[in-house]
Amino acid sequence: MTSPSVSVESVTKRFSGHTAVNKLSLDVYPGGIFGLLGPNGAGKSTTIRLIMGILEPDQGKVSLFGSSDGSRKLSARIGYLPEERGLYKKMKVLDHLIFLGETKGISRGDARRRALAWLERLGIADWALKKVEDLSKGMQQKVQFAGALLHDPDLVILDEPFSGLDPVNAQVMKDIVVGIAKAGRTVLFSTHVMEQAERMCDRIAIIARGETVVSGTVAQVKADFGGRHVALGFSHDRERATAILADPRLIARVDDYGASAELKMADGADPEQLLAALVREGVGLRRFEVVEPSLQAIFIAKVGADPAAIPLPAGVAA
Amino acid sequence: MKKIFAVIRREFVERVRTKAFVISTVLLPVFMVLMVLLPGLMMSGGDRTRNVAVVDASGGGLGQPVGKVLEAATFGDAEGAKPRYRVQVFPADAASLAQVRDGLIAKTGFAKGRQHDGWDGVLVLADNTLASGKLTYYGDNVTSPESMSRLRRDVSEALAGVRLAKSGVDQALVSKAMAPADLDTTKVSDGKLTGQSGKASFMIAYFMGFVLYLATLIYGQQTMTSVIEEKTSRIMEVLTSSLTPFQMLLGKVLGVGLAGLTQMAIWVGSAFVLGSQGARLAGAFGVSAEAARSFAIPGIAPSLLVVFLLYFALGFLLYGALYAAIGAMCNTIQETQQYAIFVTMFVLVGFFAVFALIKDPTGTLGVTMSYIPFFSPFTMPVRWSMTSVPLLQLCVSLALMVLALLACVWLAARIYRTGILMYGKKPSWGELWRWIRA
Repeated sequence: MTSPSVSVESVTKRFSGHTAVNKLSLDVYPGGIFGLLGPNGAGKSTTIRLIMGILEPDQGKVSLFGSSDGSRKLSARIGYLPEERGLYKKMKVLDHLIFLGETKGISRGDARRRALAWLERLGIADWALKKVEDLSKGMQQKVQFAGALLHDPDLVILDEPFSGLDPVNAQVMKDIVVGIAKAGRTVLFSTHVMEQAERMCDRIAIIARGETVVSGTVAQVKADFGGRHVALGFSHDRERATAILADPRLIARVDDYGASAELKMADGADPEQLLAALVREGVGLRRFEVVEPSLQAIFIAKVGADPAAIPLPAGVAA
Repeated sequence: MKKIFAVIRREFVERVRTKAFVISTVLLPVFMVLMVLLPGLMMSGGDRTRNVAVVDASGGGLGQPVGKVLEAATFGDAEGAKPRYRVQVFPADAASLAQVRDGLIAKTGFAKGRQHDGWDGVLVLADNTLASGKLTYYGDNVTSPESMSRLRRDVSEALAGVRLAKSGVDQALVSKAMAPADLDTTKVSDGKLTGQSGKASFMIAYFMGFVLYLATLIYGQQTMTSVIEEKTSRIMEVLTSSLTPFQMLLGKVLGVGLAGLTQMAIWVGSAFVLGSQGARLAGAFGVSAEAARSFAIPGIAPSLLVVFLLYFALGFLLYGALYAAIGAMCNTIQETQQYAIFVTMFVLVGFFAVFALIKDPTGTLGVTMSYIPFFSPFTMPVRWSMTSVPLLQLCVSLALMVLALLACVWLAARIYRTGILMYGKKPSWGELWRWIRA
């Protein structure tokens, strides 16, 4: 087996008494997209900063491409988009990209050519000679994105790359990320948006409170989670379903979205029983589908941090 | 190395492009031109011939000799120079003195074209003037110290002449004996004449000290501010992933320094042009060349220029590194003040030491201060310009300076490494010490 592009071995990082990352381990193998998932404050950014060598771990070891030289020596092979976007506000977009390219060790002429190509690709070529501060936030993010990818890195590390983007731009960025992975390079990105991770990632690690909760390929994680899941869509008389959804003999867990819900069936309960019960009560259904558990559902079940989920009444469950 | 160069280029280009840089670069030479022209323009009013009425109540005919001496006084020594005074003597006695005097005073102070027979001043010679030397002048220019000391000197000369003549000394001998001494000063260095006058040395020393002081404060603060900006804009995080703290620090200090040097070069260059072409320029503005020459910018000896540039570069980098380190420690400009005051104090002490040195360039204070790296950039060029400094002293001082610079850059890089990613809390002195040791 090839050595992992990123290997984090039992790393711990504390900040003045509070442990941000606790004995966390993960391996990112070359090729494909690796999703680092977790709620806010789970330690995603800290983990990424540890990988980038921006922070030093208190314990444990980080190696990149099988070497522990640190990201700075290998910076020509790594592209990094930090969570906190930062650009020199007064610089012109093109100059800025050229400078970022130079800090990665590519020549000025080369950097200029690549910067222009990227600006073209991201649809902001007209802004090349404008100052960064004149750009909208979304455009600035694109510029920074281009800066991280300018030197064709083998490993791309993106911290919340899609946050703050409108759907059109998010789509553009997603296509680029998928393209990078298809070209055989490795992408590691963090997000708290599960739908995105589910559609894009080959492998994921869910972390919470600085520890790994689940990791593996998406299929594997879903299979391990087990159980039978039903996705419901309501068209009318939603309130008549309330009693059925609260029945612990039928349903183990509800992830309620109002007009729709994702359910985990109780052990021994049958989806057909549920459908019959709902029809009997006269609940208007738009959708009734037996599904794989979504990452969202797994995430909520494992982390239990999503306030949108309805907790089961404790007395009934007992 | 290539990466440091990229950082230097960015710092330099982005700084030189700003409006503030362009404006300040242009404004100072404009200011210098005004400095050359203004004294000339202001003095052009000062060489007007004054109408002086001499009221002679001495009873001994003192009025005539005084009037003669005053009429002989001219502006400058040149042939056909303008006379200082136009004199008319009014004889009076003790009884009519007050009346004559008050009549003349009533016409005084209108001389600037408003009243043609008006006076600029009235000089009253009393009966005891010759014996006691006491006399009174009423005029509109009594607040001008230069005019008054000139007048006192001219009248004293006249009185001395009259007294000597009364004792039977020949008039020709008197004027010969009264010829004033004219002192010209020239600096000697290594037993050779440097061709600089004492005043010129002082000017150069002062100018150099001032340039370094200004450059250190302005560009040191700029270095500090730009580190803070990088921290608040979070660009630091991208940079640290590809550059070492040392590369970032050195690139920044050198880049800002280079921008500063460019500005200084433009300023010094325009000062030289003014120095050599000042008279012609003044002529173009209708100011007499002589008046412009009073603010001539002296030429600078090549050896002094080398010494100055060496110390300038070293001092600039030393303080730049310190300011950058302070920037790395803090999150806002306000926070930096608490630390920056220490560095600024060093700069101030160094600069004000120049004034002490100008009085006594070879004293213990001067020699000691030119060994201390924080002060030597200010003191050594001054000593070099004013006295002859032993070569050994120069070498030791330079070596100490280089050592201190390396130590400071090392120290600053240590602080930088940790500080640039520290947001929020300001470090305590203890934490700072840990950053350096880490």
